Amino acid sequence: MERTHRLELFPERSVTLLLFQHVKNAAALRKKAMEGSLEGALINPAMIVDPFQILVAANKAVHLQKIGKMKTRTLYAEIIFSLSPSNNISDAFKKFGISDSDTAVLIVLVVDGDKNVNLADITSQVEGQQVSLDELPQLTDTAKVKKMYKVTPQEEKIGTLLDSVVCRMSTKDVL
Amino acid sequence: ERGRARYSGGGRALQPGGASAVRSFPSRPPSVAEDGRTLPNTAEQAPRACAVCVAAMAAAQAEAGGAPSVMAGAAGAAAMGDVGPVGSATAELEAAGPATDGAECGAGDAVAAEEAPAPPALPGLRLVQQGAEAHVYRGLFLGRAAVAKLRVPKRYRHPALEERLSRRRMAQEARSLLRCRRAGIPAPVVYFVDYVTNSIYLEDIVDSITVQDHIYSVQKSGNDTSDLHKLAEKMGELLARMHDEDIIHGDLTTANLLLRPPTDSLDLVLIDFGLSFISGLPEDKGVDLYVLEKAFISTHPDTEAMFQALLKTYAATSKKSGPVIKKLDEVRLRGRKRSMIG
Repeated sequence: MERTHRLELFPERSVTLLLFQHVKNAAALRKKAMEGSLEGALINPAMIVDPFQILVAANKAVHLQKIGKMKTRTLYAEIIFSLSPSNNISDAFKKFGISDSDTAVLIVLVVDGDKNVNLADITSQVEGQQVSLDELPQLTDTAKVKKMYKVTPQEEKIGTLLDSVVCRMSTKDVL
Repeated sequence: ERGRARYSGGGRALQPGGASAVRSFPSRPPSVAEDGRTLPNTAEQAPRACAVCVAAMAAAQAEAGGAPSVMAGAAGAAAMGDVGPVGSATAELEAAGPATDGAECGAGDAVAAEEAPAPPALPGLRLVQQGAEAHVYRGLFLGRAAVAKLRVPKRYRHPALEERLSRRRMAQEARSLLRCRRAGIPAPVVYFVDYVTNSIYLEDIVDSITVQDHIYSVQKSGNDTSDLHKLAEKMGELLARMHDEDIIHGDLTTANLLLRPPTDSLDLVLIDFGLSFISGLPEDKGVDLYVLEKAFISTHPDTEAMFQALLKTYAATSKKSGPVIKKLDEVRLRGRKRSMIG
């Protein structure tokens, strides 16, 4: 159901993604995450095209954490920030984090290899139905993503939307 | 043939130079060879054909991998405990710290002065090329076929300059790639840019062949003209679009143009933007074309007609081609980087 991927460049870390639909307590979850009682990054699935997008963001966030150059204060905040094409942190949270009225939530966890992922702990706190990551494309708002990342029509001809998104995410700070 | 580079490694890296200290690979305790001895770190890249090296390596390592291709130590590598389900002996190396193969070689080898970067721990890792600027690897990154370009630090340069140059080249590459994509010019997607080791992880165009190899095979089989003519036209069109975006590739050769499968579709992809920059000057564009022309003539015999076709399509596609072609003619006469001013 959930998906876990090891980060090749940081072998002791792995990323787990969980997707939930029909979520009723988005507001409470958001509050918990902000307080720190809920482990994980809470992301709006409408802005995610493919799990690879999350992995790229997580990879970058873990890298920055390792060298001490994160722009935000926690790893999970950094993941959300890395997803955004802009350098404005609060904007990133607004667009890519969940809002109180959301009914779908994507939770991203980054764990150190040895620690066992406590999924039950997370899933029990979500008042919603956990679904497979394969459902993600149905939840994606392609138009919104295109607008957010400013994808040009010429670009769509040479690659997928995911390509455009990932390229912008990874070159955000070089420009 | 898989061409996998097998790495031996063990123990902490011997650190000859200071600049590599920034590397933040996950640390591992010094690993111990099967016979209980700790090996000095002789992690090395693909074959450095240095007899001194090989001898030193064979002596230093318990298991005499010995093969001149330096594929030694698979046993030792396996002993180090693998990294994940892929379990390939290739994948564990980065943990051993910065590779210092050069240092082991001793004074006899001048090339040894360059410290090669440690290969990234990607599953299915293969060394594709050891260029002067960077080592290029192929592997899986986050589940996708990727190319990793790790810059080779040049020890003869002052470290501050080296750092700055490396950073700038990498930034230029990333910037040009993004710019190309935004304009609809096919180029690899950037997956990750690592400013610490100055490495860049890009999309791997799987099963592609370089235009260079394609021309070779077509010329060998003798089917010639019409195929290559069309290819030249496509190239001219692509370059015209690139130059219209004021992107100068900087290293245009037939080896830096890929053809996606199936080859007949003539689906071109530009790669290797390490020397690229942004410029609107016809001079720079003219020189870009001149570099390609030289590369064409020197690598592929009997391709003058092909290049002519390329230029013709270039002129037809680009709106600003007039001054560029003019400059190209000028550069042909005098050679490049001779502005003859002052």
